[in-house]
Amino acid sequence: MMADMVSVSHLSKSFESQPVIDDLTFAIPAGGRTAVFAPSGAGKTTLIQILAGLQKPDTGTVRVNVEHPVVLFQEPRLFPYMTVEENILLPFKLRDRAVTMETLQSFNSWLSVCGLKEFKKHYPYQLSGGMKQKVSLIRGLLQNPCFIMMDEPFQSIGREAKKIIIEHLLKTYPNLTVLLVTHDPEEVQQLAQQMLFFPTAILGRYACVNTHDAKFQQFRFSGFDLPDVEPNSSSAVLSEKNLLNENS
Amino acid sequence: MTNTKTFITSLRNEGIAFLLFIGVWGLVSAFYPVYIIPSPLAVAYAFPGFLPEGFTHHLAVTAWRVFLGFGVSFILGSFIGMAAFSKKWEAPVNALMSAANILPGMILGVIFLLVFGIGSLTPIMLVICMTLPSVTINTVNNLSRRDPSLEQYLVSMGARRAHFLRYIYLPALVPTLLSNLSLGLGLAIKVVLMGEFIGSQDGLGYLLNVARIYFNMKEVFFYLALLLVVTLVYQGCLTLLSRTLLKKFFYAN
Repeated sequence: MMADMVSVSHLSKSFESQPVIDDLTFAIPAGGRTAVFAPSGAGKTTLIQILAGLQKPDTGTVRVNVEHPVVLFQEPRLFPYMTVEENILLPFKLRDRAVTMETLQSFNSWLSVCGLKEFKKHYPYQLSGGMKQKVSLIRGLLQNPCFIMMDEPFQSIGREAKKIIIEHLLKTYPNLTVLLVTHDPEEVQQLAQQMLFFPTAILGRYACVNTHDAKFQQFRFSGFDLPDVEPNSSSAVLSEKNLLNENS
Repeated sequence: MTNTKTFITSLRNEGIAFLLFIGVWGLVSAFYPVYIIPSPLAVAYAFPGFLPEGFTHHLAVTAWRVFLGFGVSFILGSFIGMAAFSKKWEAPVNALMSAANILPGMILGVIFLLVFGIGSLTPIMLVICMTLPSVTINTVNNLSRRDPSLEQYLVSMGARRAHFLRYIYLPALVPTLLSNLSLGLGLAIKVVLMGEFIGSQDGLGYLLNVARIYFNMKEVFFYLALLLVVTLVYQGCLTLLSRTLLKKFFYAN
């Protein structure tokens, strides 16, 4: 039985008595890639912040099986006085880890994939929004994490570049556990194995859909509607069988 | 940009300011007799005949008082500002320093003269008391404006306290320290001169007072021009520093 990387049980969170997460329960197995698809203001970012230990839940429990999961925030959060290279390698300094030859190879390969090879010595103010997001993505992935939370990580990146980056990501880190928050069903299909679809602006009741199911295609091409899927609040765990099929 | 070009453009504004000052001075002097407002040329022709004996000693004494007084105020103010920020005492410290900031320098100078007597301590203490509030308030306010999203990133990475200091607080302080050095030194020079004017037997402030009493206006205007040149060169050096070594700390995200 594969252990869960993340398990969330009866999680609730409100801001000034306005609930954004209400009795949410789900789990992501190690190596699983789950997308959260919900309307704006539904507490998706709050969920990531709770999982990262940046906010406390009102009630419920959260368990993440790594001490400091890598978080890709909605904004790139680059240090303005550091170059692209310095920003990307900063986590190694923060965690007292040596930058090995392997790391540098991976660094250069990511720069090529993202089209940033010429921008190593540039500062963030010299980059476009999409380039900054790519730098943030490389900074997160270069640490070789086992779990990454991505909060709309591709919103300023073009369609083609996004496709190339996701392909490289899946090739380089086949066992990476991913929690993806996005508004783009194409990203869900490219990156995730299952989608938690929240029909209302509160993270609580959801429908869990396998992204390779016909239901997901129906969802993609019917204006984000899942007429025959009944949202429920029961725990949604990606079936181990599906996951194994995916990875094989 | 080459280093030479950076150097020239950094000092351009200071040069323009100096020429503007000389121009206005020359223009105004045309309407007054030489014993009230001598022209820049009249001062230049009379130089250095009007300088008193031991002028360089007086100059050195003033410079020493400015740098010691302002140095203490700069270090103490930056330290109090950082401590207030880290202990979340921004509001009470700001209130205290704002109150201290309105104390009139002249009255404080007279009180210090009575307490410390004639000598170096009066102008030095005056500089510390007059510049400390501005340095502290500036430090606290600028630290409060740091980017909280970067702090959150470091928290998510499990960063230690030293990392916050190194990657967030110290870089956020660089523009503040430069602006404190820029604004504070001008104020410090003024205050030292006032202190020497009131309670000292040496220094440029003392010389200005003597020259004023004897109506030696060429000497008075020479001292004013000298102060202007020193301040402009100092400002030029700070500009150069902010455009070369410390340039990256001024970049926006």
